[in-house]
Parts: sequence; structure tokens; C-alpha cells
Amino acid sequence: MDFCQKQVKSDCEELLGRFQTTDSVRFEIFSKIWREMNFTQIFYGTVNHERRAFSRLILDTAYSFFLPPFSFQIRVGGLYLLYSLYHCQRASPPEQIRLALKNWEDVKKFEKDAVDAQHLDVIYILRQLMLRKAFNFTAMPTVLAFNKKRKMERAALCEAFMERASRPQELINIELLEELSNVDDHYGKLKTSIGLQADPSINLIRKELVPELRSTVVDFYKWQQRKGGAGGHEDEDSGEGTSSQQECSKRAQLISSIKSKAYGEAAEASKSRRHRQVEVDFTSYEAGPSLSSGYSRTNKPSLKARTNENVHVSGDLWEEATRTTHINRLTTLDFVPEEKPKTYKRFKW
Amino acid sequence: MAASKPSTDPNTNIPEYEYTDVNTHIFHIGSFRNEWLNRLKPSNYSYQQEDEDTFDANFAKEMGISAETMTDLKSICSLDSLCCHPEDEQPDTEVVPPDSTLRTLVQRKKKQDHRASLKISKNRHDLYADELERLTVGRKPEAVTDMVPEGEVILTINVYYPAVYEKFIYSRPHITLLMTGSHSLAELRDAICCVSDLQVCGEFSNTPDIAPDFISKDHYKSAFFFFEGVFYNDMRYPECQDISMTTIEWAKAHKFPPYSQAKMEDTRFMDLKVKVGFPYLYCHQGDCEHLVIITDVRLSHKVDCLDKKLYPLLTHKHRVITQKCAVCHVFIGRWFTTNDQFAPSDPCLFCDKCFRMLHYDAQGNKLGDFLAYPFVDPGAFN
Ligand SMILES: [Zn+2]
Ligand SMILES: [Zn+2]
Repeated sequence: MDFCQKQVKSDCEELLGRFQTTDSVRFEIFSKIWREMNFTQIFYGTVNHERRAFSRLILDTAYSFFLPPFSFQIRVGGLYLLYSLYHCQRASPPEQIRLALKNWEDVKKFEKDAVDAQHLDVIYILRQLMLRKAFNFTAMPTVLAFNKKRKMERAALCEAFMERASRPQELINIELLEELSNVDDHYGKLKTSIGLQADPSINLIRKELVPELRSTVVDFYKWQQRKGGAGGHEDEDSGEGTSSQQECSKRAQLISSIKSKAYGEAAEASKSRRHRQVEVDFTSYEAGPSLSSGYSRTNKPSLKARTNENVHVSGDLWEEATRTTHINRLTTLDFVPEEKPKTYKRFKW
Repeated sequence: MAASKPSTDPNTNIPEYEYTDVNTHIFHIGSFRNEWLNRLKPSNYSYQQEDEDTFDANFAKEMGISAETMTDLKSICSLDSLCCHPEDEQPDTEVVPPDSTLRTLVQRKKKQDHRASLKISKNRHDLYADELERLTVGRKPEAVTDMVPEGEVILTINVYYPAVYEKFIYSRPHITLLMTGSHSLAELRDAICCVSDLQVCGEFSNTPDIAPDFISKDHYKSAFFFFEGVFYNDMRYPECQDISMTTIEWAKAHKFPPYSQAKMEDTRFMDLKVKVGFPYLYCHQGDCEHLVIITDVRLSHKVDCLDKKLYPLLTHKHRVITQKCAVCHVFIGRWFTTNDQFAPSDPCLFCDKCFRMLHYDAQGNKLGDFLAYPFVDPGAFN
């Protein structure tokens, strides 16, 4: 089934991409796009023994959109996609949606956000899937058979579906600007106090460092907003969410005004606010509820490399230990391209 | 492997990737099951489905919505809204729609057209695969006591066959078995069939008629599984030996990390600490080694086979190309010979009939010099 993985993913992304442009989390809107794309047909023409495998593949693909790091809106789309695929599949009895233990908290949090915002269709559909036993409660999201093709399969996540980056704002926040301004101030005073301000050789710091830094970040933020274009408020919308579109954009305006206020006040922010970071921390508004668990890919060395590292073979036995057995051949083959320059050096000869 | 996991997650029984998309870190299967059961309501993993009307009523109540709103909601979320064809038409779901813009279908159409041009019909192995699937799904036991309990753990286990030929590295023949958490490793062992258990050992050129009764499984009962530093030995029979001892002592003498032993018949899957997706070892007949990978662990589901007695349940079986007799090319090889002046190659494979015709006279007297060994083809299980 691996042969069509790319195509399946791209079709799902197309559907969710169209859903994203509507700025909506309504199932009505989703099902309209589904019908427009004739998405039910994706199951047509699978031969008997391929049916189950295809259901497995497309459900696993859709499942990934239901999880962080994607925005709330995309995750809603992912849920609708799972619901629709689950019911339209041709395998009988239906193939289940695999829900991994480690993702349970994400799903519960998602459900809570939906309840808080009264997104009735989202909650109803999630609960319907539970009611109908559509989930398998598993250890991991996919079946793991020590597959070597993982490099190819590790396709990029669709950036457009994620929460917008906010690292610059996060890093150059009001706290930092304040601190920097104090340090700069202090430094200037020190220089004055020892009477060195006239010496150009110690003018190592740019003048107006703090305002400049601030305006750069503001520029970046504005550029980002412009680039977001028509869908400018989609990420705010994706937050705790409100039940109507109108309220969504109202809220978006509110958030952006809070943001600009935060920047406007940057210079005169008082020390007493120092611990109340929440109020000025951009990310807490920027990120939807989904960002709670950070997303990172760990790149570890290969199994063989790790084994080599951990097992210390003494003396001339190394040769004996590495002699290729059948089993050894089966386990190592996958990792050959992964190997960095051989790590034999690490062994104590 | 120190510091492979940041200390942010103290619960090591929630499986995470050790190596992304390949295998998990080590966790305890019984505790993993408890983690799930603690989070779920019994109704979540029950084999029974809650009544639809009760569900609706509870939902409306919890959300504080009127019966009218509930009706609207149900209609908006109905599956009819996903229907992609006019009501009065029934589409042919066996055929790939010719003019779809979905990339998956464009590709499937191409593939199907290609296949049609080759006129390949389904072979008996594909039919067999369908057969396996149909048999296993949703079976209920006759006696309630044979029912797999709700919330039981189901494991999917792949057992790989030794890579005898180069090409096996690419195709990796294996069987897939489903087992429950209360099964023991000994039950897994008994479910693995391997030709080396049927191999007849010895040279029988002078007495070809007495060979077939001498089967390995009856003589070499010892075997072990190796999971996470522990050798699980089969000690069910008095003639079983702890064949892991040699390895353990060798490892000790050469400063490997220490290994320990346990009995496979006393170890249930529930008691194991393992990594999902990680290759482990099954060794029998002294040196016949199989990779064993637990590819999945999950809670039982109402569509699983719920009859305990049908486990370990075979869900996949590779097909092996059988090796035919070098003379007639029709029958599966039963003997192989070496130092054989009649043979076109050394060693050479013969079916029983050709072997006897070529190597013995009408009275059964051996002709010429050769050594003959009984042979069991790996494909004999197909
Ligand atoms: Zn074997
Ligand atoms: Zn023959």
C-alpha cells in the first residue's frame, strides 16, 4: 500500500486546505467540500485484499491532522475527515481509527476546547465515533515493523496548517526589552560616571538599541500579518474558539489590539508587571490550545550505532561479535545508509 | 543509552518513540493496559454499543440544548451529507471513477489499466489471504467462559524466517500472529511452525525407508525467546535444556551487560517489558534463529476474534516458492544428495520418486557412491 501514500496525503491536504480557507469549523462546510471533491470515491475500485490495507493507510494519514502541531481548525478538519473516512470505507467490518495512549491527553484537551466554545458539531462527531467503537486504543499510532522505508515516508508536515511561528515575538518580549533597556541605561551611566563617554573607542553599543530592536520585531509581526492576507485571523479563530464567525473576528481584533497595546507600552512597562508575563506574552494568544505539547522530532543515531556505543566488547572478540549472522543481516541492512563514519573507534581495543 | 529520554515524562508506561516511526522505548505491557483502563470509561472499550437514543438524550442534556437543536445537529452531521452521488443512482464502487481529480484515484486508474493489460488473475495466495481475514474477524465463542474479556490486551507479533537466501533480505518472509496478554510465551512458541522442526537429521543413503520417522522436534525440544536482556527458556519437558546458559556465561566472561533467565511457560505477555517495533530473538533447534517483532499492542475491540480458544491467531502467512526436483521439475524436493555421480549439481535436490529410480535398483540396492539427506521444503507449509 505504500505506493499511494504520497497521493493519499496530498488529497487529504487538498481537502483540508480548502476547509482552511473557509475560516470555519462547521461540519456543514466540511461536508460541502467533501461532496465537491467527490471524496467518497477515494475508496472506489480497491480490490478485495487491498481494501483493508487502504483503509488503514488513509485513516493513519488522516489521524495525523487530528493532532498537534496543527491548528485547532485543521484538527477539527482532521476529526471530520476521520469520521467521514471511517464511515465511507469499504472494508467490512470497518477498519478502526488507531488512537495512541500518548495522544489521549491531546484529544481530551481538544474536546474540552470544543466544549468550552460550544462547537456542538465537533463534540457530537467526536462522541459519535466513541459511541460507535470507531477507535482502537493502541500503544502507538501505527503498527511498527522495523521498517526501513521510514526516511522516504517522513514527508514534511504541511506548514500552512500549523500555528504561525511566533518565536521572534516570544523571544523579544516586553520583559526582555525592559531588562535590556535597564542594562543599557546602567551601562550608559557607568560610562558617564567614569568620564569615558567622549572616547569613541568604547562606543561599542549601538545607540537606540532597544527601540530599534522593538521596531524590527513589530515590523516582522506586521509583515507576518500581511502575509497571512485574507486569512489573517485564522489562528486566533483557532484558539478557544467561539461559536460564530462574527465573534471570531471580533475576538481577533481584540487580540491584535491587546498585542499592539503590549508593544506600545513596552517602554513604560513597570517593574511590577514583571511577573505577570501572561499579559504581554504574545505566544499565549498566538498559539491555539493545540500547542500545549511541543512538537519536536528527535533524530537519534541508528540502532546499530547505539548498540555499538553501549556494548563494550573487549579485545579481539570484536571480530567474532560482528561476524554477520542471518539475524544480524536482517537487523542491520536497514540502517546502512544511516551510518555515519563507522564508530568502531569507540571500542576499547 | 543514557539520557535518551528527558525527565519531563515520568510515566514510562505511556509508550513513546525511542526512534521515530521505528520503535518505542521499553514499557511494561500490563501497566500500559492499566494506563488505558484508568483513562477510559468501561463503555469506551465495552463490546456492547450504548443505545443511540440514550446517547442523544445525554448529549442534549450535557450541552444544554433543546430536542429541536439536537435534531438539527443530527441532520447536519448525518452521513447522508457525505454522499457524493445523486440519491437515485447507485455508483459502481468496484470501478475506479475515470475522471476524478483525486491524485489517489488518478494513480489507481493507471495501475488498474496496467494490470488489466497484463491479464493477471488473482492467485491462490491472495485468495488465501482473504480467507484468513474473513475467518478471524468478529468471531464469538460458544461458551461465555471462552470470551476474550473486555479491556484485554491484544498483541500483534511478527515471526520472521531465517534469511537463507539473499533475496529474503528484501522480502522478509514472516507470519503474523495475534495473542492476548494472558497468553504465555510457550503458547507463542507452539504456534511458530518452522521447517527445521521437521528436518530429518542424518545421512540415510543406505536405508532410505527408515528416514521419515526421525523428526527434529521430538529430539531437540529446547528453545528460548530473548527479550530485553532476559532469556525465556522452554522448560516444559524433562529433556529440555537451558540452552541460553552458554550465551549468558560467554557474555559474563566478556563483560557484556548481564543477562538473566526465566521460564517461557511461566511468562505471560502481560508481565513482559518490551519495546514495540523492536527486533527480538527466538532460537530453537540449537541454531535456527528467528526475529520476533511485537508490531502492535492495543486493547481488544468488538470486531476482534473474541474466542479465546482460537488464539494464537494466524493473520498473515508468507508464501514460499517451493524448490522442485532437479529431474522431473514437477514435485517438491524430498532428498538432497552430495558427492553424487548421477547428479547434475552438488548438492542436488530430488523428489522421492526420481531419487529412488535413479539411485537404487529394482530390489532397492544402492547404486554407486553418494550421500543422501532427507529434505523438508520451507514451502511445504503453503
Ligand atoms: Zn526455525
Ligand atoms: Zn522428480
